[in-house]
Parts: sequence; C-alpha cells; structure tokens
Amino acid sequence: MTPNEPLVRWDWLASHAGEIGFRVGEHLELTAIAVAVGLVVAFALSFAVLRIPRLYPPVTTVTGILYTIPSLALFAFLVPYTGLSVLTAEIGLVSYTLLILIRNIVNGIRSVPSDVRDAAQGMGYTPRQILWRIELPLALAVIFAGIRIATITTIGLVTVTALIGEGGLGYFILLGMQELFSTPLLVGAVGSILFAIAADSALVLLQRALTPWARVR
Amino acid sequence: MSGATVELRGVTKRYGSTLAVDELSFTVPAGRICVLVGPSGCGKTTSLRMMNRLIEPTSGEILIDGQNVLHEDPVALRRRIGYVIQQVGLFPHETVAANIATVPQLLGWSRDRIRARVDELLALIGLDRNMKERYPAQLSGGERQRVGVARAMAAEPPLMLMDEPFGAVDPIVRNRLQDEFLNLQRTLGITVIFVTHDIDEAIKLGDRVAVMRTGKLVQYSPPAELLAHPADDFVAQFVGHDRALKRLGLLTVGGIELDRTIDRSRLGAAPTLSPSTSVRDALAALLVADARAAAVVDGSNYLGAITLPAIGRMLRGDDAK
Repeated sequence: MTPNEPLVRWDWLASHAGEIGFRVGEHLELTAIAVAVGLVVAFALSFAVLRIPRLYPPVTTVTGILYTIPSLALFAFLVPYTGLSVLTAEIGLVSYTLLILIRNIVNGIRSVPSDVRDAAQGMGYTPRQILWRIELPLALAVIFAGIRIATITTIGLVTVTALIGEGGLGYFILLGMQELFSTPLLVGAVGSILFAIAADSALVLLQRALTPWARVR
Repeated sequence: MSGATVELRGVTKRYGSTLAVDELSFTVPAGRICVLVGPSGCGKTTSLRMMNRLIEPTSGEILIDGQNVLHEDPVALRRRIGYVIQQVGLFPHETVAANIATVPQLLGWSRDRIRARVDELLALIGLDRNMKERYPAQLSGGERQRVGVARAMAAEPPLMLMDEPFGAVDPIVRNRLQDEFLNLQRTLGITVIFVTHDIDEAIKLGDRVAVMRTGKLVQYSPPAELLAHPADDFVAQFVGHDRALKRLGLLTVGGIELDRTIDRSRLGAAPTLSPSTSVRDALAALLVADARAAAVVDGSNYLGAITLPAIGRMLRGDDAK
C-alpha cells in the first residue's frame, strides 16, 4: 500500500458510487439465482430421498464431496468446459448450497411429530396433502435455518467468482489487491459483510411472517 | 347424527410369523360404546387401526352398516369416521378453528357451513369462542383433548375410533373429560370404539367391554356381567380383586330392590341417600355413620331402606342372574 495514503479515500467512493451500486446488484443476482436454483434441486432430491430412504446416503455423500472441494479448484476445473461465465459461477455456487439445504429439508420433514402425521392420515389426508399441508409447514423452521446458512455461504463465495470475471463486490476486493489500494478492498469486504447481515435479517423476518404459530405462547 | 353398526368377522393381522390379532369377531350395536381393553401388546390398538384401515387386516371382514370397509377407498372411509388418539395430534401450525374444520374442509363444505359448525362444536365441548384463533400450544392439556374430540366429530361421523384419548391428562381432568364425553355420546347417539388399558375407564364408559389378550378376544360383555362373571382367571385378575366393589359402583340405590319393611321412623339418625347414589357410595356412607341401614329418599318421598346385609349379599354375588 502506498505510504501516506489514507485507509479510505472518500472521493473515490463518491466518484464510483454508480459502479458500487452495479456490483451490489450483481452480487444480489448471483446469490439469489444460486439459492433459488439450489432450493429447486434440493427439494427435488429431498422428495426422492423421503420416498426412497435408500437414496439418502449416496445423495449426502455426493453433495458432501461437492461441498468439500475448494471453491477456487472447482472454478478452475469448470472454466475449460463452461468458460468465464455466469454459468460457471452458478454451477459452483449452487453445488455448495445442496448439502445444507437437503439435510435441513429431509431432517425438517422427518422431525414432524408422528402423532400429527398419524392424526392427519387417520382423518383422511392423502399423502400429498400430508406433505404440503402438514409436513412442509411444520418443517419450515428447520428449512429456513438451512436457507440462511446457504445464503450467507453463497454471499461469501460470490466474492471468489471475481477471479472468473463475475464476483459482485468481490470485484473490488480483487481490484484493491491488484492495485494495492485499500479503499476498494474495504468496499468489497465490508460491503459483502453488510450484505450478508442484511440478507440474513430479511430471511429472519420472512420466516417470522410465514410461521405465526411459532410466535405464540 | 346417529350411530353405525360395526361388525368384525374373523379379523386377523399377522406380522411375519407373529399373530397380532387372531380371528377377532364381535358386533357393536348402533349408538353404543364398545371398549377394547387389555394389557399392552394385546392387539387392541392394532384392531382399532384396522377399522379405518391405517393397518390392513391380513384376513377377515370389517362391516360398517353392513358395508365391508375393505372394499372402500381408505381416504374416503377415514373422512367419515372420527379418529382421536392419545397424543391428540392437533396440527401445531393451525388455529383451534382450523383444526376443528379439518374434515369438513377436506369434504369441501362451504365456508359459512364450516364456520357455523365450528361455533356449534365449541359450544358443545364447552370452549369459549375467543379460543378459536388460539394455537394448540396455547391450550391446556384438557382443552387440547376437547379440541381433539371436537375435530373428530366435526363432519358428524356415525362412528368414532378413540385410542386412549384421555390417557395423557391428570386423573381429575380425565374424570371430567370422561363425564363430558359420556354426555356428548348419549346426546349424539354415535357409535364409539374406544381403546384403553385402564379397566376402570372401560367399566365406566363401556356399554360393552371387549377384553383382549395376545391378539384374542377373551370376553365380550356388558361391564356388570364382566365383573360378576369373569370368563377365566386372566379376566378375573385383570378386572381386579375389588371387582365386587367395582360392580357396586355401577349400581344406584334407586335401581336396586330396597327393604320396604323398615319404617322410616326407625331410621332417625341413619344416613339419607338420594336414588342416584351408587351402592358403593351407600356402603361408604353406612360404614362412616356406623349404621346398618340408610334411608333412600327422593325429594320428600321415602322409597325404602338399604341395609348392610343386603349389600353383603350383592358383594357375594347372591343376586347375580
């Protein structure tokens, strides 16, 4: 870092306000797509696991392996096939959400009290009605816990995708490191932390709105 | 609403090589309460759960009003049979009103009809209308049981299956719930099949008691008959050594033959009992007062005397028909 330079150059912030806004939007988009696609894939796999319990070990093994691959290595591995693209970034980001989401969906549904399920079946709910009207609503708290972890993890990982030309706020971190210039580095780092906190708070509020019964007593 | 006749013919459930229920046959007349009782593992819950096909019988027939339920769609069948379990199984994410509305809603009743029915049921089970929007977590154990019963009755089923519905509440509340339930059942005239391991509950609630042991029906009779003439040693032991006393609890002093030869004037200091007093309580009153006879009085009308020797004869079973 250049000597005598202040930690934050406010004039740089002012002159780059438009670009900062654009990168925040990009970060949001990359995160939202990853979590949304992750949820769709995770629900599909979870329903399969709930119907055929034998599938659970292989599904957690495969998603567990995906989860442990270092992100940089995964992106480097994907670039020859899918290039420096949003697709490459999203394949990586989605694959990191799966383990957490599937575990929480499956365990959330399995933890629905058996007497509630028994009563529902005994009163004439069809299996589909039991899933949609009983099991999913009651599993919501556990599923939301998974969505929150997946979202925060994804927000962190999006910064890494700066290395393959995406990255949202990660772009500023990369820029700061390349030019030994602390202001953009701080914008990227502090910005993604604030973004994670905001996203998590929004999810907590959404969960509270969706589960009014959990607030009573 | 009125009750359905239920008939089991040779109903058997086999799990691998073990027989959970063995050739179970009995008939429950419409509007009556039949209690299945026996030690744990005797097959009473399995038998109950076969009636709404939560468990499929291995063989045999189950007829409700003459129709074999094994030829029916299980989901449609369950919607016309009330079902209450010990843990109640209220839906924690739904309000009291929504819980009660479960089956009417599945049957596609109109909104207005459901709302009216929920209000009617709340009144019937003695729950305040402002409880409607509460969640199950906000209710006491007794209130939850009441809501569970209301939910099972919502679509006016002619038959209710109840699996130890009062097993999870304390004895005082249980007693009150039993009384309320009996009143309700007498008013509505629905048929009830009730599972319990508690012989006292069986005697109190049952019009017929079916004693089961290792999957077999050992005795099927009205409670007084069960107490007076247990079919074998197992039943005798199961109903308890105090079965003679229990039987006195089923009789009221107004319902037995009183001694009219004793003049009222001779019973000056003796206890005075109303006709609805049980013979068991009359015995207690005599022992406490150290008296040999008590006057049975309906208002100001003297009906006769109940004496210790007469109660003694009943205890020994001299009166048994």
